[in-house]
Amino acid sequence: MADQSDGKWVRVSEGRWRRVSRRDFLKLTAGAAGVAAAAGNFGSLLTSFVRAQQRELRIMTWSHFVPAYDEWFDPYAQRWGQAKGIRTTVDHVSFADIVPRANAEVAAQSGHDVYFFLSPPSAFEQQVLDLADINREAERRYGPMVPLVRKSIYNVNTRKFFAFSDNWVPDPGDYLKSAWTTAGFPNGPSSWEELLVGGRRIKERSREIQIPIGIGYSQDIDSNMATHAIMWSFGSSEQDANENVTLNSEETVRAVEFGATLFRDAMNPAVLSWNAASNNQALNARQTAYILNSISAYRTAQDNRLPVADDINFVGALRGPRARWACEHVMGCWVIWRFSRNPDNAKAFLLDLVDNYREATINSKLYNFPSFMGSVAEKKVPLADKPEEGRKWVRAAVTNDPFGSTPRNKLAILRDAEEWSTNVGHPGPANPAMGEIFDTFVIPDMFAKAATGQLTPQRAVAETDRRVKEIFTKWRRLGLVGGGGRDR
Amino acid sequence: MALRREAHPGVTPVLIFRRRTLADREDLLGKVMLAPALFYVIVLVAMPLVLAILLSFSASFAGSLDFHWIGLRNFGAIIRDPQFLLALRNTVLFTVISQALVMVLAVTAAHVLDAAFVGKRVVRFLLLLPWAVPVSLAAMAWTWIFDSTFSVINWTLKAAGLLQGWLYWFGDPTLAMIAIITVHVWRMFPFATVIVLAGMSSIPQDIREAAVVDGASFWRRLFQINLPLLLPIVTVSVLFGVVFTSTDLGVVWLLTRGGPYNSTHVLSTLAFQRGILGANLGQGASIAVFLLPFLMLAAVGMLRVARRAEVGS
Repeated sequence: MADQSDGKWVRVSEGRWRRVSRRDFLKLTAGAAGVAAAAGNFGSLLTSFVRAQQRELRIMTWSHFVPAYDEWFDPYAQRWGQAKGIRTTVDHVSFADIVPRANAEVAAQSGHDVYFFLSPPSAFEQQVLDLADINREAERRYGPMVPLVRKSIYNVNTRKFFAFSDNWVPDPGDYLKSAWTTAGFPNGPSSWEELLVGGRRIKERSREIQIPIGIGYSQDIDSNMATHAIMWSFGSSEQDANENVTLNSEETVRAVEFGATLFRDAMNPAVLSWNAASNNQALNARQTAYILNSISAYRTAQDNRLPVADDINFVGALRGPRARWACEHVMGCWVIWRFSRNPDNAKAFLLDLVDNYREATINSKLYNFPSFMGSVAEKKVPLADKPEEGRKWVRAAVTNDPFGSTPRNKLAILRDAEEWSTNVGHPGPANPAMGEIFDTFVIPDMFAKAATGQLTPQRAVAETDRRVKEIFTKWRRLGLVGGGGRDR
Repeated sequence: MALRREAHPGVTPVLIFRRRTLADREDLLGKVMLAPALFYVIVLVAMPLVLAILLSFSASFAGSLDFHWIGLRNFGAIIRDPQFLLALRNTVLFTVISQALVMVLAVTAAHVLDAAFVGKRVVRFLLLLPWAVPVSLAAMAWTWIFDSTFSVINWTLKAAGLLQGWLYWFGDPTLAMIAIITVHVWRMFPFATVIVLAGMSSIPQDIREAAVVDGASFWRRLFQINLPLLLPIVTVSVLFGVVFTSTDLGVVWLLTRGGPYNSTHVLSTLAFQRGILGANLGQGASIAVFLLPFLMLAAVGMLRVARRAEVGS
């Protein structure tokens, strides 16, 4: 009786009711769960069996700033897989999620076979394969890689190629010709001093432009590149060529003083809050007259048929008191995880990608520059001549932009981009300490604090120096960073 | 086998044997049915928490699976770090101001929604929308509203002649904090309103009617009848809000990423920046778990108040 009285009337269909006891309910749910579990197990067993027989490659890459590149890359990867009999999957992640996602894959020791980073992933060195073999093979086929690329993917302390690079991206200055003509610099600024003078004039003469100079001092990747370019041009850097910390110097103080003056005279607090898209948006909305960026802002203006596109022009790295340097805008680095299930497929894919790099460069609308210049030379050219022939091809392409620039030589300044571009960590390598400094925005913060008067330039440098030394000490303890004997 | 006595009217009771199954064992059945929830809590809450605590005592970094025990060194380092102290101060400010505003708005909104008026259901629906909207979507909209260059607030105020100069919402630490608190309050107060509204419906109608008949004014009824009776449930809501706000990552990260110049970091965003982006997992974990003892005290308080409220009802 007890069982029956516990039962509940359950409607099973229109006009049909059934009394279900607790026992019945448990039996039913247990049975259903058992069937579901068995079906699931069978399904996964079947999947594993099928997977074990397939050749596979899982690729993780970013959502390119020039969407046309992804439209080429994804079908290319599929075609490559079909030709090799390898099932290829391409996943995309936004640029801001590249590092968090990589951390998740490392923690899980599972994920993609080959993974793309926008900046040197030196912190992940212990979790990736040494790619000396394919780097050497690529150099054997196309000649030496671009020097700044080598410094971004090779750890001299562990003698390990922790990445393979197919591309790097220059970071020229993008300016509005009309505003700079009014300011007396029709060809744009050529030095940091001219940038300051021109910025002041634009502030006076072109009042419709909110932010005459749009260089970010915020927690974003573009701000990192811009502030490093200022430092290098003033003869300052976090480390020397041998990875000794050298930030605490007169040169750094002068660079920060210049940055503070530039902020007060030609910028406004909006630049303290910018994200990676802000400078593009401000330039295309004619709210700023100069940004440090790749050509993607310009390509976006072209794609959207904005009238400002014709007014956007380019200058190379600005000359400072001591040097003329710009940071690479993107250092495309591929890694193959230690836990990759298909490392050989991944290596073959990367080598074949470089073999098709002329096509890749064109489909990125000249955004991607080849890491192996020889890879874009004609195939029949002898190896010894490939790098130079490749450079000639790149120069010809940017001098005669096939993507509707007016005038067609608008991108000509990129011809000598290799000469004025350098790597994160300059004049040393892109080691994990530099990676942490870069990814936690230590240098833009130093400039912002001095610019807003939170700290004097001297105190901002001293505070940042302590942080930089802490970071270097930690990575040296792990054996991934050298130097230390001549820290300043 | 269990012995069962089945009794039917007019029939002499007989003893029958039946298999005693799980359904008959109330003590075991409870545990079995609780097991999935317990498993979920252990795997998805307890284990990551224990892992985070362990990491906070280590020199682990993101690109490695090594575990080097370094004791309290991470905690010593962060306590000496001005950026951490600022993030701690911001967390407290963010939590206290947000919760104060949320409760004021929630009690107000609950009183409005308690009254009878045309379109009440529509208003309730609209009020709940911020709670239902995914935080990333909402933050995108708010990012544009507060954008330092294109802020719609600024343009509107300018057009109306109410603003001289410009408000750099995310470019000024104070304005950025105001923006963060605004978005968080906008997001949180609908939930608090629902809780308060539920509490108000539990106040006996005869007490309210007696107060009205006795001529008590609105404020007198609010402060001397409604709020004292709502106190247990409001306390639960506040404690929930405190825990939720002090551990929130989404709003701050999506709006300012801790900027300008790391001035709006709360502990969770600083932990993310140091631990995940900066690869310093050990230090990131120590920042993340720093508030744990305080939050546990808050949680114990929350459970006690909840229990008291339950017993009271």
